[in-house]
Formats: sequence, C-alpha cells, structure tokens
Amino acid sequence: MSVDKGFAQLEDVIADADFPALDLALRRGRHVDREDGGWYVLLLEAQDHLEAFYRRYGCELVHKADGYFYLLPSGEQLPRRQLLAVDMLVGQALALLYLDPASIERGGLVAREQVIEQLVAALGSDALIGALLPRRKRQDEQVAQRLVRAKIGESIRRLAGLGFAELGAEEQIRLRPALLRFAEPVRGMAEPAEALAQLVAQGEVTLADALGEPSDETSAGELESPLEPELPEPYESDEDDDEANA
Amino acid sequence: MSAQEQEFAQVLRAVAERRPSLALETLDLAFLIALRVRGHGAQLASFSEVQLVDVFEQVCALIEPAAEQRKKRATYALARLREQRLLVRVDGHGVVRSGEYALTRLASGIVDFYLDEDVLTRESLTLLSATLRSSLQQIVDAAQGCERGDDASWSERVKGPLQVTVAELIAGIERRQRGLDGRQEEFQLEIRRLLEASWFEAIERCQSLLEATGATLRELNEILLRDSSVLLALLHDIEELAANSGATEAEQAALQVVDQVDRIVAWGGSRQRAWSEYFQYVHRYLRDVVRLDPTRALTQRLREQLSGNGRRFSLTVAGAPPIRLLRVVQPLAERPPVSRPRAQREREPAPDRGIDPEAVLTARVRSALDDGAASLADVTDRVNAEVDEAERFAMAGRVAQTTARIARAHAERERPWVQAGGEIEIEDWRLERARSGDEPGSSGG
Repeated sequence: MSVDKGFAQLEDVIADADFPALDLALRRGRHVDREDGGWYVLLLEAQDHLEAFYRRYGCELVHKADGYFYLLPSGEQLPRRQLLAVDMLVGQALALLYLDPASIERGGLVAREQVIEQLVAALGSDALIGALLPRRKRQDEQVAQRLVRAKIGESIRRLAGLGFAELGAEEQIRLRPALLRFAEPVRGMAEPAEALAQLVAQGEVTLADALGEPSDETSAGELESPLEPELPEPYESDEDDDEANA
Repeated sequence: MSAQEQEFAQVLRAVAERRPSLALETLDLAFLIALRVRGHGAQLASFSEVQLVDVFEQVCALIEPAAEQRKKRATYALARLREQRLLVRVDGHGVVRSGEYALTRLASGIVDFYLDEDVLTRESLTLLSATLRSSLQQIVDAAQGCERGDDASWSERVKGPLQVTVAELIAGIERRQRGLDGRQEEFQLEIRRLLEASWFEAIERCQSLLEATGATLRELNEILLRDSSVLLALLHDIEELAANSGATEAEQAALQVVDQVDRIVAWGGSRQRAWSEYFQYVHRYLRDVVRLDPTRALTQRLREQLSGNGRRFSLTVAGAPPIRLLRVVQPLAERPPVSRPRAQREREPAPDRGIDPEAVLTARVRSALDDGAASLADVTDRVNAEVDEAERFAMAGRVAQTTARIARAHAERERPWVQAGGEIEIEDWRLERARSGDEPGSSGG
C-alpha cells in the first residue's frame, strides 16, 4: 500500500515534513483521526513502514476500524501511562454523548455542561463528588460542586490533548471518534468481564485493582505524567473561613 | 475609538433614543400572518376596519376558541399593532371616515420569517441571477450614453438603478440564503429525530436527505460562482465608466454592489464547507455507530459501565515525556558593591562680587557730566537712555540724588519743568562740576 502511495522506504516517511510532529504526538499518547488531515493521511499511506518502525520500540501502531490511530507501548522502551480515574469517567461520559443522536444535530459539538449533566445522570451528584473528591473529609456542597466542575474541565483539557476531543470557543467540545476506545469493553457481543480480560491481555487497559485503586490523586498515571497539571485549590481558604466562622 | 467604532456607537445610540420594543403574542403573530395570507388571496393592498375585525375574529376562533368579547379584543389588538408600527393607516382621512390599514415593512418581515417562503432554490437563484445580469447590462448601456459632467443623467440612469433595482435583487438573494440557513437547521434537527425515533431503519432516509441537501448546496454554489464572475465584470465596467467620467457617486454605488455580490459568493463557499464537515460527521456516525450497533445496545451497556457496574479499568496510552531543552546558562555579571561617595559634598563659600547698581549709576552720571551735560534734565536724559522704560521714573529720582552729590546744583526760585527724555518731566537744575573734595565719600553728604 505504501509503495503505491509514494513511500518506497521508511526513509521517505521520516523525510516527510509532517513526520517529526506526528511522531512526537503519537509518543505522547495522541490519537490521530481523519480530522487531523495531513497526519492521518501520512499514517494511512505509511502504515506498513511505521508499524515495523514502532515495533522496534516495543510499541504497536494501532489502527481502529472507527478511523483513528494511536501508539500502544507493550515493552519498556517507550514510557506508558494509565488515564486518571477522573479522565476515565469523563471519557466515558463523552463517549456516551458521541453515541447520542442529539449530538449529531450540531455536528458533534457539545457544551461542557452537557458532559457534567451526563455524569450526574449516570452516577448521581453525591457519587460524582465522592468519586472525584475522595479525600475531602468535610465538604461544603457549593465548594465541592465548584471543585468537581473544575476537575471535569481539567480532565476535558487533558483528553483533548490526547485527541479524544477538540476544544472550541465558549467551552464547546467537538467529539472525536477515538472516544469509542472508552466503550471497547462493552462493544462486542461478549460479556464485559470477558472483553475486559481480553483488553488487559492486549495491554489496552489496566484494571484499577492492579493500579492500587487509582484515584486522581493516587494514580500511577499521575505520577508518571509530566503533563499532569496541578489543580489550583483556591477553595481551601473558603473551608478555613468556614471553620473560623464555626 | 476608531471611526468605525464611532459609527457603530452612533447607530446604536440613534436606535436607543427611539426606544423601540416589540411585544407580540401568538395571537398577534397569527393575526399578522392571516392578514398577509388574506391580502395575497384577495389581491388586497389594504384592509378596512371591518375587514381587520373580521380577520381577527376568525383567527381568534381558531387559536383561542374560548375567548369572549372578540370585537373589543380586536380593537385592542389593532391599537397594539399600530403602536408597534406593524400596522399603518394609509387613507389619511382621520376621523372623517373609518380608516384603511396596511401591513408595514416590519410586519411583512416578521410574517416572511414565520411563513418561510423565501428559500434559495436552484430555480429562484437562476431567475434572480438572470434578472440581475440583464439589469446590469442595461445600466452599462446607460452609463455608456452618459456625458461627462452630466450629473443628473448619471444619477438617474446609473446610480438610481444600482441603488434600487440591483440592490433589491441582491437583497432578495441574501434573504433567500438566510431562509436556506434556517431550513438547514431544521433539516439537522430532522436527522436527529429520525435517528432517535427509528435508529437503524433511519439510515437510508438520513443518507438520502444528506445527499439531497449536499447536492442542492453544491448546485447553488456552482451557480453563484459561475454567475458572480459575469456580474462582477459588468459592475467593473460600470465602475470604470463612472470613474472615467468623474461620476463619483455612481462609482461608489457600483462598489457597494460589488461588496454585496462578494458577500453572497462568500456565503456559498462557507455553507458548502460547513455542510461538508457536517456531512462527513453524520456519515461517520451512521457507519461507525448506527450500523455497528443496530439494536442500540452499546449506549445502554456503556451507561451501565459508567454507572459503576463491572470492574473499573483505565486506558493505556503512550506517555513519552516531552524533550527537555536546557537553556544556555548566562553567568551573571558581578555588580559593584554599594558604597558611599567619597567626594566632598559641602563646598566652601566663595565671595561673589556682584554688580553694585549705585556705583554703576554714579559712573553713568559722572560720564554724562564729563561729556558736558549742564543741566539735571540733560543728565537724566542721558542716563535714562540706557535704562528700560519702566524703570525711568524711579531712575530719574536716583539720578537727581547722585547728581546732587557729584555736582553743584543751582536752582532758580521758580524752577522750570523740563522734558528729560521720553515722557518724564522734571524741575531742572543747572549744574556745575563739584570739586573733588565734595564727591560722595569725601564729605558727610
């Protein structure tokens, strides 16, 4: 395939002007789909060469039928990380929105509030706060809600950096096909537990038990990720004020 | 503030000063629409009061069948619509007889929006474009016949048609473009409803809708691109003829129409791009989501997964850290230590020998006397010649005092008033040089 498209050798692929940026993005966990234009075309045209190329780094260049590529490290040569618990929740909510026919009315554009609504509908407010703020002992409801919204916003930003979504103006989010990765365990006809075991075996996912119950504060991914932002905690002072008032 | 912003603020201020507002209920809107439909059906340009009340009662019977006192409500509705400038009295007879009323341009615009009659179609665009071309050709012919300096002809035969006929035709295209935009929004909603209602069975219908709309947009864009080049060429001819004849207003009118044509062409391009993105998104959705999940079980299973059913898991992604580029270290330049200046700040006082004005005056008086001045007026005149006009009066006194010290003065019993240079008059003395022993400092004065 690649020979027909003009990439006779790996050298030709590497010499392509788009290759350095694409290579760096893939190594940092970026998912590349049709909307990435030149990158996607390069991956399609040079797929054979690049699969062999990344295999030498102990990685698999995965091409899903849904129309996106990503790099899956299986060895130790290229670092890998697990998504945070909050990112997994938000990613699944985004995937649900991607599947919802309502989102196609606006060409896959959703608002941040819709993501929060989806999470609240699936988990309930209390469970959502508990899942995203597991270490807070005493929570003022308003403060906790504000903190949850901030955490969800940060998570969306991280997922957008990985190519699962695209941030638009006015807190609009364009959903991208890579979100279907979050639905992989329930996609086939097999039982979810069975499908999950298979995905674990392929190195696509890691079970939370194996990570020692990762939360957004204890996840191995967080420790490994140099891109992980520190969430500002302006609300502590509110809590202090409350205590002082009490 | 730029000129454009100023103009913008001015327009807003002018609108705000008039305090416009609109408050229309469903019944009012239905009444306006009914008037428009009736008017078209019966070829009526205006309505009598009886006709208005009749139409209102019919609308009321349909929309609010339980409503009572319909005539009274009709009277209030008419007053309300007139206040909001949606209905206007056109007969001008005042209280002499019952009035004739017509819908205003504002009311027509509102009714058009709800009736949604004007949607750009292949037929309407082709027709409007052909009419536009023919109008512009006529204007080109007229412009060729206009003489240089004949402003009336340029205004009547070129500027007028450009600003009225051509601008109206283009506005017609733009109005229909907005209609098509609205239609597309409805169409996107329809696709969503089709999928929500029948999911897998809706695929064929959605695809045919997508393709039909895509084809319409493509066709419209092709017509716009093809015809716009002809229209722009004709407008360019008009602009050139006007510029060569110095008809500035006609040239400006042509340029405005060029802007309008550019805008409708840009609309075509932007809508086709937006549609292309939407088309691809929906196609991908139909292929990847609907076809692969005909029973729509995936959504349900994913919702259960998100709710916490089953084991929690985390996706694995590549996580190479970004390359660290160390910056070149620049050694800091050593700053000199802070110390007090050692130079002597206080300076020793030095004697300042300034000019002694009294010595200067004495020297001048003496010089005048040496030069042969024989009277006080003469001395004063000579000394004051070197002094500013404002100081001459005071100086005259000082000169008299100094002269008296240096020279010997002889005065008559009645001393004459004599001009002493400029506007000063003094009582004059005759003078005689004093002996050296009489000079200041040499005697007790």
